[in-house]
Amino acid sequence: MKKKILLSVVALALISISTFAQGTKLVSTKTHIKFFSTTPAENIEANNTATVSTINKENGEVVFSVPMQGFEFQKALMQKHFNSDKFLDSKQFPKAKLKGKITNITAIDFSKDGTYQADVEGELTLKGVTKQIKEKGTVTVKGNTVEVQSKFNITLADYGINFTDGKPSSNIAKTVEVTVNAEYQAE
Amino acid sequence: MKKKKIFKTIAIIAIAGLLIGGGTALYLFNMPHRDVQSAQADFTLTSSQIVNEYLTDKDAANAKYLAADGDSKILEIAGVVSKISDDFDGNKVILLKSEGDKSGVSATFTAETNKNLDGVNVGQSITVKGVIRSGASYDEDLEMYENVILEKSDIVNK
Repeated sequence: MKKKILLSVVALALISISTFAQGTKLVSTKTHIKFFSTTPAENIEANNTATVSTINKENGEVVFSVPMQGFEFQKALMQKHFNSDKFLDSKQFPKAKLKGKITNITAIDFSKDGTYQADVEGELTLKGVTKQIKEKGTVTVKGNTVEVQSKFNITLADYGINFTDGKPSSNIAKTVEVTVNAEYQAE
Repeated sequence: MKKKKIFKTIAIIAIAGLLIGGGTALYLFNMPHRDVQSAQADFTLTSSQIVNEYLTDKDAANAKYLAADGDSKILEIAGVVSKISDDFDGNKVILLKSEGDKSGVSATFTAETNKNLDGVNVGQSITVKGVIRSGASYDEDLEMYENVILEKSDIVNK
């Protein structure tokens, strides 16, 4: 008898935990991350559509896990350089990560269609180096889908990515623009 | 007379060197992307096999499958289709995942290969070929298992 009660309590607890988790977390595998570098010499662009992201609607936690080898360049040689140990060292560090918090999460009503401003604070880890970031983005709620957009700059030297000589030093900007776009569904 | 000959030889070598150097630079600059589909697959596995390899020892699997220049191993993965979706470029994404596995293999197709998935349904067993971009692992920040990611994929047989 006792066992039965215990079991049903455990079962109830599990059910409530799983429904709770279901309700609070949004997952996106439909993502687009773009790096854009501009110098007088040339513009360089790389695109990634293989990133995974989650947003916790309750506490505002937001995570992006970016597979670095998924960045596509127009020129094959640029892509090889990007991946090499002189630049991103993607074999050693296959994933970059953004882990932060939407600090004004209470201002976003996920049950009401609309576009909301989001302030994100957290850490960006690139090539094994973690730095604090503070950026802005927009959250668009439309029915069951939530879309996030953001655009910010990162300074490559902050993450130990330096080019001192040759073509890369003149053709790659010291600061690159990152555009983030992700479409979420409830888990 | 002898001096003239030496001069001529030097000139020929210099011109040849310039041509080879210039040609190489031009080739490198315009080097095409590797054609994943016409290249030979490096490994043939099931989705469960590669997921287990990654979940057992991520570092060993990365060392085996990832290349430093980004031209990582080309894999042929057999598995059961558990999800079909689209990415932001409008390309098809197939998730191969066996029931009971913690994660699967997500394969992104291309503008040229999307149509080869016409008629493929969830629950069907297929084999896809593509280049590996990253492996499977549990991510404690996402609080979920990430899939092995293949890109430039095509279907091998239905």
